[in-house]
Order: sequence, then C-alpha cells, then structure tokens
Amino acid sequence: MISKGLAYGFLSARRRMREMVLPVVTTATGAFLVVLVFGMSAGISAQSASLGHAEELNRAVVLIAVTVLLVGVVEVAVATTRTVAHRTRELGVLSANGVPRGPVVAALLVEPVVAAVLGSVLGATLAAITGTVLAAMGFVATGLSYGGMAAGVVIAVGVSIVAAVATSIVPTWTAASRSPIRSLTAGG
Amino acid sequence: MCLVRFALANIRRRPERFILSVLGIALAIACVTIVRTISASVAITGADSVTDVLNGAQLWVVPAAGVHYDPAAQALVADGQAPRIALPDGWTGTRVLSGAIELDGQSVSLRSSDQMPGGEAILGLPLADRLGVDDGESITVGGQSLRVGISGGGQSMTVPTAVARSVVGDSGWWVVFAPPGDEQRRDLAQTFGAAVGLPSTPDPSVTPDPGGAGLIYDTVGGSGPLTFEQKFSALFSGKVTSSTLGLISTIGLGLGFIIAVSSFLAAVTERRREFGIMSSVGLADEVLYFFLVESAIVFAAAYVVGVAAAGIAVALVIPGIATPTAWLQGAAVTAMFLPAMAIVGALVPVHRLLQERPVSLLEAR
Repeated sequence: MISKGLAYGFLSARRRMREMVLPVVTTATGAFLVVLVFGMSAGISAQSASLGHAEELNRAVVLIAVTVLLVGVVEVAVATTRTVAHRTRELGVLSANGVPRGPVVAALLVEPVVAAVLGSVLGATLAAITGTVLAAMGFVATGLSYGGMAAGVVIAVGVSIVAAVATSIVPTWTAASRSPIRSLTAGG
Repeated sequence: MCLVRFALANIRRRPERFILSVLGIALAIACVTIVRTISASVAITGADSVTDVLNGAQLWVVPAAGVHYDPAAQALVADGQAPRIALPDGWTGTRVLSGAIELDGQSVSLRSSDQMPGGEAILGLPLADRLGVDDGESITVGGQSLRVGISGGGQSMTVPTAVARSVVGDSGWWVVFAPPGDEQRRDLAQTFGAAVGLPSTPDPSVTPDPGGAGLIYDTVGGSGPLTFEQKFSALFSGKVTSSTLGLISTIGLGLGFIIAVSSFLAAVTERRREFGIMSSVGLADEVLYFFLVESAIVFAAAYVVGVAAAGIAVALVIPGIATPTAWLQGAAVTAMFLPAMAIVGALVPVHRLLQERPVSLLEAR
C-alpha cells in the first residue's frame, strides 16, 4: 500500500514541478555552499589562521554552512505546507475512499524528498563545477580537496533529505489525520 | 491590539507554517549572529592589542617594515627595526623592542622596557594563565633566568631592554608622549613628523612605505568621530565580515528572507477571499497593518530563538573566541537588519494583493 502511495506521490510531484522551483533553488544554494566549504577547507583554514583561533573558526565555517543548508531546506517544508493546503480536498477524497493514513503521508512526503534531492544534487554539481573551474583558472591557491568535496556532497544530500522529511512530516501527518468530512468541506 | 489578536488567531490557524518560518529565519539569524559575535570578539582583541601597545601614548612610530598582529602570540609584533629618531625637546617617548619568541612551545610576544630592574619579567595576566606560571616563579628567556611578576591584562611579556635585544634584536617601535599640556592638540603628529622627518597618518589601515624610514600613527588627530583604537579594531572585524564566514552568513540571511516572503505569499493566496472582504468594506489599509504586525511577530520570535541558538552554538563550538560581551554586540548588530526585513517581507505580499480589485479577490475559489 505504501508503494502505491509513493507512486501516487511521484505522479503528483511531476505535475507540481513548477511549485518546487523555489525550494529546489534554496536547497541548492545551501548545498552549493556546503560542498564548496568542504572542498576549499585548506583555503578557509589559511584565512582563519590569519585571524587566530584557526581550528575554532574552521568549525564555525562548517557550522554556518550546514545551518545555511538547513535554512534552504526549511523552504522545502514551507512549500509542503502550501501543497497540503492546496490539496486539502484531494486528501479528503482519498480518506473518504478508505485510503489509510500511511500511504497518504508517504505520497505527500514524496514532493519534499524529491525537492531536497534535486536541490542538493543540483547545488553539489554546481559547486563541483565552480570549484574545478576556479582551480583550473588558478584562483584557488591552496588547492581543491576532492575528498573533502565528496564528503561535502554526502553531507549536503544526507542533511537535506533528513531535514526535509523531519520538517515536512508534521504538516503532512496533521493533514492526513483530519477527518474526511472536514477536508472535503474546506475552502482549499 | 486588535491587529495583534487577529495576527495571533491566524498564527493559531496554521501553527506549522508559523513554526517553519520562525525556524527558517531563526537559523538565518543565528548564522549572522555567530559571525557578528566572532567579528565583535576579534574587534575587541584588536582594540585590546593596540591599547596594550599605546598605553596612553599619543603617537606610535612604527618601522618601515610595519607591524602585524601575531595570532599565535595574540599581540602586535614589530616586523623591523624601529626608526632612528631623536625626540624633540619636551617630548617624551620610549623605544620598545618587540618580537615573538617560543616559550614552552607557546608563542609569546616579547617587549622591552628601560625602567625595569634587571632579572625580572612582567607578564600580563592572560599570558601568565596561558603559560601556567605564577608570580615569583622563574622563567628562562634568551638564556637568562628571570623572576616572573604579573601585572595588567595584556598578552605580552615585558623584559629589560638588554634581555629583549639579545632575543629579538632591534625590532620594535616608539611610543611617544606629547609635551605636558599639548596632549589634546590635533596637530601633534604633524609637528612631531616635521621634527623627525617621518610621514604620519591617523588611519591604521595605511601601512608604512617599505622603502621609507617609518610611519607615525596619530592616535589623537584625524577627522571623524572614531578613535584610533576603534578604527584599528574595525580593521580586525572587517577581516571577519569580508571573509568566507561573512559571505556565507549573508547568503543565509538572504535565504531566511526568501522563506519569510514565501510563507507570507502562501498566506495571501490561501486567504484571498478574506482580504477581498476586508478591502471591499474599506479596510484596505488594515490589510497592510495586519501583515506588518504578523511579520513583526514572526521576525521578533525568530530573533529571540535565533540569538539564543547562536549563544548556545558559540558557547559549544567556539568557546575560545566567544565572550558574552561579543555575543551581545553580535545580537545588537543583527537586530539592525530586522526591521527592514520585516517591513519589506510584509510589503511584498500586500503589494500583490492591493494591485487587485476587491471583486476579483472575492471571486477567488
């Protein structure tokens, strides 16, 4: 039943691609920063060393980059609340037909997960291209760490998906738990 | 008051969206506050380091090679020989030798003093803590055993000139005091500069000409309301805000703002009919106030959460840099962005609404 919910979610996510542009862009911005920060950690360390407290400042840079990624992912959840509000009646029809809560939540979570994956992969790809181009043009004096970049990609994609699901689950759960009659009579 | 109640009722209607927008903006605010805390802390370090050097002197004559802040020694260190100058009549000044040395694996800024009894070394309290030495203990500098005295709050060790010269050579600077009664005159640097043949500047960002003889930093002259120490510390904090950290946090703040606008826009599309009713009974202005109040509540809540989160984050992640004063300064600087963001964030959706006629708003599904 859950797999049917996921398939239904994919279909509606494809239909709603336009609404996903903003969350994808914000997540991509965060992922872009995280991957670049990890890839250019040597250069950032050098910059921090000139200010003193190099180790602590490096930790702060990573903390801030990951926080910015989370800010980007919150937009995914805001978009989910918008989706849920738009589709209140549709959810009412589903539950009136006896579809249980699990598949409905799964269907609604497809969209944030797709947005998070698309955004983080897009951002990571752009960051990898930017980093490589900058390094090839000689702008990165301290060199680019491909291992660091790979770690950045894993962190960016992982954090985006986990954060998108964690922040979207409450609004989708609430919407899926509403009684069908209330959903069907709602204005949205 | 009525508007606040209305806004609160709306927040209760969609609590998850309120929580999400507060969370998004709070994270962005936390980023900026962390960076501002670091920058304020570095600025305090910069101001302390220059106050420690000047010690009330009006002029600071630095070598042609300049001076730099040594992050490991946490103090200003001279990069070359102090200019050879003869003090004009009435002026008093001291030639201070300065350099960085290694002591027990720690980098320490060493300075000289002519007025010290031989066999003694005066350490600032933070430096004594860092080295783990107590008053009266002895340390070895340049092959000589010196008795430790602790005084002041600086990060430097002051030793007799002969000892300092044996370790750091002739590197150093002059600190110059004006003749009694003339301390507040604004043309001190020009008068002194003409007498000793050195250029002067009140701007600490100017570095000496490497081919010249040296430079006089003027701490009392210059235009503008900032003191020399403030200008000096601004150089330090500018390094943080223009670094990667500053750039990333600004992008974060931009994303936070996008979240605010997007959640307000979502509210607008969902409540077109409600606003249609309001504007058709002549309450178009109230729609604006209503959004302003709601935006203010969101931003105020996000500010409180964000600043608290930043405080916890800096205390956990960068305990060596962050101080409560720096955190409060960081929080204050962040507060300056908020009103503008809250107002623009509310105006964008209202502008969209007010472009439409009430009838078309009421026609919405």
